[in-house]
Amino acid sequence: MRHRCVKPVGNRERRRRRQEAGSELEFKTHVCCCVSVFCCCRRVCSAKMDEALVRTRIPQDLEKVLGVESQTNAKAAAFTKAFLKKSIQQNSRHDLDGMLSHKAVILGYSRPKKDKVKRNSKRAKGLNARQKRAMKVFQIKPEHQRYELFLPLHELWKQYIIDLCNGLKPTSSPQFVQQKLLKADFHGAIITVVRSKCPSYVGTTGILVQEFKHVFKIITKEDKLKVIPKRNSVFAVEVNGFVSHIYGSRFEQRASERSAKKFKVRGTIDL
Amino acid sequence: MNMSVDLDQTPRSLLVCDWSSFLDDKNRVSSQVEQLHFNYKVSVLLPECSSAPAHLDSVLNSFSSFYLIRNLPIHELLDKQFLETAVYQGSVYGLSYRTRIDEDNCVALMPNGRLSLSLDKDSYQLLGVEGKPSRFSNRTNSRYVISIDLTDNSMAPGGRGYLRLLTGLMSRLHLTTDFLLSHHPGGGASLQPLLSRYDWSEHRPELHSHALTHLSCPELQSCDPHSFLEWLGAVDADISCENSSISFLSSLVCPEPKTTLSRVLRVSICGLLLPQDVHRLIQEIRCYLEQPQLESWLSLTVHGFVDSPVSWGGREHGVLRGGENFYTLLMFHDHTYHLHLATGAHDTCPP
Repeated sequence: MRHRCVKPVGNRERRRRRQEAGSELEFKTHVCCCVSVFCCCRRVCSAKMDEALVRTRIPQDLEKVLGVESQTNAKAAAFTKAFLKKSIQQNSRHDLDGMLSHKAVILGYSRPKKDKVKRNSKRAKGLNARQKRAMKVFQIKPEHQRYELFLPLHELWKQYIIDLCNGLKPTSSPQFVQQKLLKADFHGAIITVVRSKCPSYVGTTGILVQEFKHVFKIITKEDKLKVIPKRNSVFAVEVNGFVSHIYGSRFEQRASERSAKKFKVRGTIDL
Repeated sequence: MNMSVDLDQTPRSLLVCDWSSFLDDKNRVSSQVEQLHFNYKVSVLLPECSSAPAHLDSVLNSFSSFYLIRNLPIHELLDKQFLETAVYQGSVYGLSYRTRIDEDNCVALMPNGRLSLSLDKDSYQLLGVEGKPSRFSNRTNSRYVISIDLTDNSMAPGGRGYLRLLTGLMSRLHLTTDFLLSHHPGGGASLQPLLSRYDWSEHRPELHSHALTHLSCPELQSCDPHSFLEWLGAVDADISCENSSISFLSSLVCPEPKTTLSRVLRVSICGLLLPQDVHRLIQEIRCYLEQPQLESWLSLTVHGFVDSPVSWGGREHGVLRGGENFYTLLMFHDHTYHLHLATGAHDTCPP
């Protein structure tokens, strides 16, 4: 038996082999006496039944037609061995006997990768950032990008702000409301860009669905998801008649981090 | 004494001189006159003439009148009825009045239907319409110019750009200015729907004439354009060119060689003047010059508005010191003319 090649073969190589195999099959049907062919057959026909076919003697009538005579088994084997020895290039580096008696070993192309993430059995860690990104956990599917789907969120947010500001009556002072809003969560608020360095953002209005460190993602009435950078824009938030302006450049924190953050009053509010 | 550096250097100014003849087919006078849309003052200097000839006087008196609207919200210029009756049907000349181009928001509506807004940075950021930073504000862009073609498809009433500009002007930037308005050829009738809603007044261009005697005058054919314009400016502003030893008020002198004119008439007309009227005046002056007279030249100077956001052909205009943009047409009786087009530092080159 020969080695099976373990390296991936090119197309041309594969085609050549297929032709070779085909020609061998033809020879087999003729049960030729030619030893080289016989040897080829031996090489190729790994199946037992083929081997049996090869070892059959040539029928009497064919012997006459071809003008050849079948040898005895021992003779044929001796001839084959001698022929192979002669025809294989003499290379001292290779162990010929070893090559001829090698067994085919199928090697896998690559090992299956092990899951590198080691699970800590004591505490469920959840997904890491890369996995979240790969799973698109924080991306809203296009079929869910509908304004009316987020209206209940807006109602919830309004209720939350009213609770936060102790009822939010028209008499409550704007400073108090703004102090509360500064630390509040804005997911679900209807925000409008009232001023921006980039004129095309101005006038965009919609429900805030996601807040990141540097951008707001809002969904507009036209069911479009828009990403608006906080920097260089001013946003207006309206709740119960109180309109607050948020200077985005000063608001560049995550919602969770902002609640614990102390805002500085110094600096310019110019865009 | 060490003078401050920028006093030594005067800001750039541009002067384009054009010597040609009205008989030449390729003369560009009419196109150059047309391209300066907002004319504030036309002054004519008639040598050897004590009172304006009747037909010149009648042309000057027939300059079309203009309208001043107080506190006009600019979004009214986008009114559908106004667009249809005035802007699409001819040429509207509109300019914000008593606004300064270097500190306020200025608006100009050009006869080709372009609306040009020159806004400061804060107003621009509020309006939300794409514009360009002004060419004349340096690194810190504090002024932006928005130019909108009202005749464009997207600016048709109900179109995308139209609605964007309208909501910007109505809800975010409440831009109101006094506004000068004039229409050619419809006049007041086509503007009436707009006028009726606001406090408005009709104005006739103001006509002044002044006779001067014993005026020294340079040799015009050979005089260099800078000194000629300087002399003309001095005459126009009534500044003496005597340079007498007892007066230090003015050290201007009339360029040599000079002659003395016994009497000169200076006629000026002020207001929002249409280029069409100026053109008519030039034609009339050409007829007047054909008559045999003592002196065979005449000069006409047209000043553009200093605070107009646009000057020649809708190009951006700014003011650094004077904001001047004017042209002087010096005409001779053989139909030749010298045209001097001049602008200040913050302006593009005249055509």
